This record gives sequence, structure tokens and C-alpha cells, in this order.
Amino acid sequence: MRLIVVKRKTTFKYQAWIYTAMSLFLGILVYLIIMAFCGISPVNVLVNVAKSFISPNIVKDFLVLTAMGCALLISFRAALWNIGGEGQFYMAMIPGAIFTLIVFNPQYNPAPPPIVVILVALSGMFIGALWALLAALFKAYLKIDEVPVTLILNYIAYYTINYLVYGPLKGRYTYGYLRTDEIPGIYRLNIKLHVIPRGDTLQVFLQSMVAQLAYYIALLVLAILIYVFTWWFFKYCKIGLYIKIHGSNPGYLQAQGVNTKHITLLAMAISGAIIGLTGSTYLLSELGRIPYELERQTAGYGYLAVLVAWLSLLDYRMVPISAYIVSSLRNAGIALQAAGLGGAEQTFLLIGSILLTYSIIRFLVDYEVRIAWK
Amino acid sequence: MSNYRHKNRENVVLLSARNISKSFPGGVVALDRVSLDLYAGEILALVGENGSGKSTLVKILCGVYVPDSGEIYVREHEGLRRVTISSPVDAMIKGIVMVSQIPQLVDNLTIIENISLTLASLRIRGANFYSSLSKISKIMSEEFEKIGIKIDLNEKVYNLTYTQKQLVEILRAMIINARIILIDEALTYLPILEKKRFYQLLLNLRETGKSIVLVTHKIPEAMEISDRIAVLKTGRLVSVVNTREVTPEYIRTAMFGEERAKQVRYSRLESKSVYGEERIVVKELRVEDDYGREVVKGVDLVVRAGEIVGIAGITGNGQRELAEAIVGLRKVKSGEIYINSNSVNVKNAGIKDIRELGVGFIPDRLFEHGISLEEDIVENIAVSVARRDMIIPWSLIEKISSDLVSTFQVVTPSIKTPTKYLSGGNVLKVIVARELEAAKKALIACNPTRTLDEVSAMYVREKIKNKAVSENIAVLLISEDLDEILMISDTIYVMNTGKLYGPLTPETPREEIEKLMVM
Repeated sequence: MRLIVVKRKTTFKYQAWIYTAMSLFLGILVYLIIMAFCGISPVNVLVNVAKSFISPNIVKDFLVLTAMGCALLISFRAALWNIGGEGQFYMAMIPGAIFTLIVFNPQYNPAPPPIVVILVALSGMFIGALWALLAALFKAYLKIDEVPVTLILNYIAYYTINYLVYGPLKGRYTYGYLRTDEIPGIYRLNIKLHVIPRGDTLQVFLQSMVAQLAYYIALLVLAILIYVFTWWFFKYCKIGLYIKIHGSNPGYLQAQGVNTKHITLLAMAISGAIIGLTGSTYLLSELGRIPYELERQTAGYGYLAVLVAWLSLLDYRMVPISAYIVSSLRNAGIALQAAGLGGAEQTFLLIGSILLTYSIIRFLVDYEVRIAWK
Repeated sequence: MSNYRHKNRENVVLLSARNISKSFPGGVVALDRVSLDLYAGEILALVGENGSGKSTLVKILCGVYVPDSGEIYVREHEGLRRVTISSPVDAMIKGIVMVSQIPQLVDNLTIIENISLTLASLRIRGANFYSSLSKISKIMSEEFEKIGIKIDLNEKVYNLTYTQKQLVEILRAMIINARIILIDEALTYLPILEKKRFYQLLLNLRETGKSIVLVTHKIPEAMEISDRIAVLKTGRLVSVVNTREVTPEYIRTAMFGEERAKQVRYSRLESKSVYGEERIVVKELRVEDDYGREVVKGVDLVVRAGEIVGIAGITGNGQRELAEAIVGLRKVKSGEIYINSNSVNVKNAGIKDIRELGVGFIPDRLFEHGISLEEDIVENIAVSVARRDMIIPWSLIEKISSDLVSTFQVVTPSIKTPTKYLSGGNVLKVIVARELEAAKKALIACNPTRTLDEVSAMYVREKIKNKAVSENIAVLLISEDLDEILMISDTIYVMNTGKLYGPLTPETPREEIEKLMVM
């Protein structure tokens, strides 16, 4: 007798939803067991983790990761592994800072805010697309793998921004901090609701949620638009179909007279443009200024978005679910640190155990293990 | 009827498959409780129409698929023992080897390196990954000598002819002491002389007690060489007969049913009396293969509207590269190709313009250039049909897809079924249907019926002929099936070592054409 692994031929309904939920449950269970062995109360840990999943604090991360997850999905479906979301996200902030702080600074050259915002958005899209296109050009014309190139471009982006923030974009009103000046209020995209949540838990939750959604209204609109675009793009647009086929058999596209080099460029450019748009919106909505040593101070959205795209199994319907899980986990890690239950390693351990159970369950969903005769 | 019939087949069961069932996602039932015994020292032909489950059955026997249910028994010293064949290596360890239509050899390696890989992974005959090549070379030379074949073991596989590659595959089976050799359409299109050599080789193997399963859709081949014939139909075993006791018509009826069997005929299809303008013009064409070797050596060719020009030849003589160059998929080393009355020079235009002109292309490498297996039938057809639309008109494409699927009798649960779940023959039908639809000016067809059963092949040939005659399409038909070439071509060439010989008329004696194929 021995064990053999066979690919399953039948799938069950809502498979993706069920095994995402199962991996989440089992991953947290594994994490709690490890915590218990370390002498930390699993109950305390569980309470903190659970709170993070129903916390309004995840709104920002959820919206950014949904938008970026959809963007990466587009390149990933073409089998182009754009690991450079991080660089495209931050490079797109440069024109935003230049337009709002220098070119159309309200102190000496004010311009209608909607026009500036549109300019910032378009330029962000352009820079994001351009940054992704660099890797695509190497891939399409020199056959250089896009993974190391996009990764290297992330670091080039960090250093470029650091150079600019240290030099030409260095702020004058920063109380001695090394960063750009604050983006003028007329160009910011938030709605601040001055409410102090009160009432029972549910009321506090709802009021906080509304306040968060209002504050990140631009990111909310953006995430919805990008999600709808992604659905439309893969369902109705010819380029979406080409991108899907490029991911499974580019030779077929070639034989049909489609220029696969152009598809490579397009897939990466669209992916980069969406990330760029998200980056410039994030600047005007949340960040408000670009700090020095950006890489040490921000959330690493580019890498988290890779996780989101993978967890969704490259299915756009699953992207918001994955984004919700990843943003909740990230916030759970922060909550655990804040509660004094451990350091940053808690976050990594929690995410790691969920990914581990996710991988195992995914394997068991796709394959079955049978007992066989010799 | 067979000249080689085996007189003294031993009644020792070497392999027994019992109640084997296998289905694929989307509800495709490939095999339904198939039970079959294979005796020592016999040649069993496995026949059936497209989608009947022939390939699935041999893939189960050689470990590519694991059955959903059923049992497999293999003879060992003490008798039959139930086994699970979990991979091709596992199958080889149990003495079962498959020789497929597309040789499973690494082109960049030499013969000896290829066989060393197999021996080392099986760790048999004292070989492992550290064994010296000279040791393995000695083992191989002995085997080659036994059957009287001389071949340079240090030759790179890409330098071998198709026939030589198939020989190497069979020799590999011998070297690893395979008891059961599964041959999946591997000999079907060899010229008669080469085929006879292979038959002799198989008969020699049979005499030593080995068993051979020959998968074929050519009934004459099954009748000529086999001891028994097993007929599969829609996943069920409908008949197992002694070859000497039946006629080809009996087998054909078992395969297709009485009604459809009557449709098969091999007479020449009617041609046009006058052809139109020159649609494909090739002048002094030189093309290189993937390894930079010149494989098309100064070819001149003209195909006119309404004409079918057939190129016969053994696979691997430059036909694929010629077709790919004409359609703009492969770089031209020198020479000229014009499409559509000299108005488009392929060298300057590129494949996009050629396709938009209305040139259909049934590629030789079906799974590389013909289809995307992850996508369904509708999506595959959309790439061709919605060439000029940015927004895909899905309802129109679904209608076209449904029409093509029913016209070509593609066996599929739905037009939304991913093509990876279709049988090889049905995949080819989808490709042929799509490209015939796309061909408004010309069609370049490489082996358009290669994996089709007799009835489907007949239908496709008629469709191609109709397209040429009634729609005035220029057709360049490249086929390894000489019967097909003789049946529908108006002008015939033979391609051998990169050169074209001809033009010949369809009335040219078959032997003369075959001589040109193997000279």
C-alpha cells in the first residue's frame, strides 16, 4: 500500500469562499496554539485578532489593497509577475507633489482644485504606467525576467524619492523634519466628519465606520471604479481576453496575428497605471506629504497587494475578500503589538500561519490523496 | 488482411484492466467500466472514433492519468498482481512504455544522453545519474546490434528524422526491458516502406513474448498488423475480436454505427476546372528551424484561387517551417512570399496583416499555435472572430461557436467547457472549424485530419474541398497522410530534406510519390 496524489476533477460550489474561510479559521487556530506554547493567553490574542476583523481601522488598507490587488491581477493574468507595485505606487506621488507644492502652489499660483486633482491623477497614472513599462520593455524585447527587474525598480523608486525629498522637494515648513511640505488643504481629498462616536458598541462601530469611509471617500470611489473596470475589462474587452490567453498560451495569440510584445507592454502599463492612480490618490487622501526614507515609514502596499492577488487565485471576484483578510491581519498584528502581546513578529507569525493553512487547504481542494496498491 | 498473423499466441494474461472508468471536469465521461485483457506475445489494436477514450485508456495504462475507479493487474512471477500506476516512470518500472505520435525526446541532447536519462531515473541495468555515458553506450550498442540497426548514438536528436526518432523510442523500450509497449498513433503516417520495417520490429518483439497495444484510427493498419482488435465507442468497450475473423467493414460499423460507417469513402473529390488568380506565391524561399539550420531550401510554389496544392512528405522535412513562414509566423532567411495576387509581401507585412486578409492557418503544432487549452471554445473562437472589435460581441460569437460545434460534431458538454477537457480529435475539430471560418482568401492547413477518425476526417476533407471549389479559396495542404493528399489535391509536391519535388498530378502512381518521400 502507498499514497498517491490525484488531481480532483469535481469542484464544489463556493469553493473559493469556503476554503478561504477555512484557512483563516485554521490559521488563527495554529497561531493561537503557538501563542499558548509561548505562554501568552490565547484568549487575549484571539480577542485582539477578532476585533481587527471588525474594526473600522481597516478601511484605508482594504480600499488601497483592493485597488492594487485588481491592478496586479491584470498583469498576473498575463503571467507577468509585477512585483513592482511598491515602486509604481510611490513614483506616482512625485508629480502629485510637484503639481500641488510647486507648480500650482496656492500661495503664488493657485489653480482650480478639480483641475489640479485631475492633473495629479493623470500624471500619477502616467508615471505608474511608465515605471511598469520599463520592466515590460526588458521582458518583451530583451527577454529579461520581469520579477527581478520590477523588484530592483522598487529600490530605484525609493532612492529617487528619497533624493527628491532630501533635495528639490525638501519642505520649508516641516518643523525640522526631513519631508516635503504638507499638500495644501484645497487639493486634499478627504471629508472630515467631526463626530465623537457614542452610544452602544454597534452605534460606535457604525459611526466610526461612516467617519472612516467619509475620510477615505476618494479611495472608496477609486476602489469601486477600479473593481468595476477590472470586471468589465476581463468580461467584455478584447485586450482583457488577450491578456488571459497571454497567460496560458502566448503562442496561440501569435498565430492569430496578435503582437504578444504589445500585450506584454499593455498588461504591465495598465497594471502600473492603476497602481499609479492609487498612489496619487493615496497622497492626496491619506499621506498628505512625502516623508524621507519612505520605505521605512509606509505600509509596503506593493508587496501586500501581491499577497492579495495570489490569495484571490487571480479571480477578480475574490480580490475584495483577500484585501479584507490581508488588511485585517495587518491591523491584527498592530493591535497585538499595541496590546503588549508581542512585537512585529506577531504579525508575521499570524500571516505566516494563515498562509500555511491556506496553501495546504488549497492543495487538498485541488488534489486528493488516495491509498493505492503497489 | 494481415500478412503477419501470429499463430501461437500464448494465453497468458500480461495485463488486465477491469472496470476502468474515468471522467473529466465538466461531465466528460472518457471511459465507462472498460475491461480488457492483454495477452503475452500479442499485438492488440485499439480503435475508436474521436473522443471514444482510446488515448485516455493508454494514458491510464502508462501512468499519465489515474482512473476514477477500476483495477489494473500486471503479471509478476507469482501471477497477476493488482497495481496502481501513478506516473510514467512508475509504469516503466512495471515494464509498460508508451511510444507516442510526438516523440518524447529532448531535442538538444544526443540519443545516448536521452536514453541515459531514462535509465538513470529508473536505476536499471546498473545505471544511475553518475553512470558514465560510455557504459550506457555499450549497453545500447548491444541492443542496436541485436536488431541490426546502425545509428550514431552521439547524434543530437534534432538531427534525426521522424522515423529515426520513433526508432529510438522503441529501442528505449527494449533497453529498459519493457514487457508491454503502447504505441499511440506513432506509425500511422510513415511511408509504407518505413512502416513495414517497424512492423517487422514489432513482430520480432512479439515473438519474444512482449505485448503491443497499437492505438490507431486507421482501420487498414489495425487489420494488417494486429492479432486482436478492441473497439471503443463513447468510452465503452463495444467489441473485442480476433482480427482474422472480421472484415474492415465490421470494425468500421462497430466504431461508427451502421449509418455513419456508410459515409466513409476514399474516392477523389471533384475539383474545379479553371483556377483563379495567384493567391500564394513563394519564390526561392529559404527558412531556418528553431536551431538555426536551413530546413527550407529554395522552395518555389504557386497556389491559385480555387486550387488545392498538396505537399506530401514525412514529418520533419521542413513542411512545418514552410507553412509558418508563409503565414508570417517564422522569419524568412531569403526569398519572397506574396499573398493575394502579389499585393502583400509577407516579409514586410507580418502575421497580423496576413490573418486580417482572410488567411486561415491550421498549424502543425496544434497546442502551441492552435488553441489555448485553459480557455473555453467560445473564447478561443473570439480571438479569431473579434479581431477588429474592442468590445467583444459575445452573443454573436456564442452563436458562431454553437454553429461550428454542431456542424463539426464536436463532442463537448458545452461551448463553455475549457478545451483542455476535450479529446485530441475534438480539439482539432474546433481548430479546423475556426480556421475554415476565418479563411476568406486562402487556407494553409498542416495535417488537418491527423487525429481525426475516418468519418470526421472525411467530413473535414469535404469541407476543405468545398471551400476551395465553391468559395474560390486557395488551399495549401501539407499532410503526412498520402491518402488525404491524393484524395483532395489538384497539384501535388513532395517535400524531402527541405526541397520541393514536383509538381505532380493526382494521377501520379502512389509508389512514385512514396519513392520521392523516402529517397
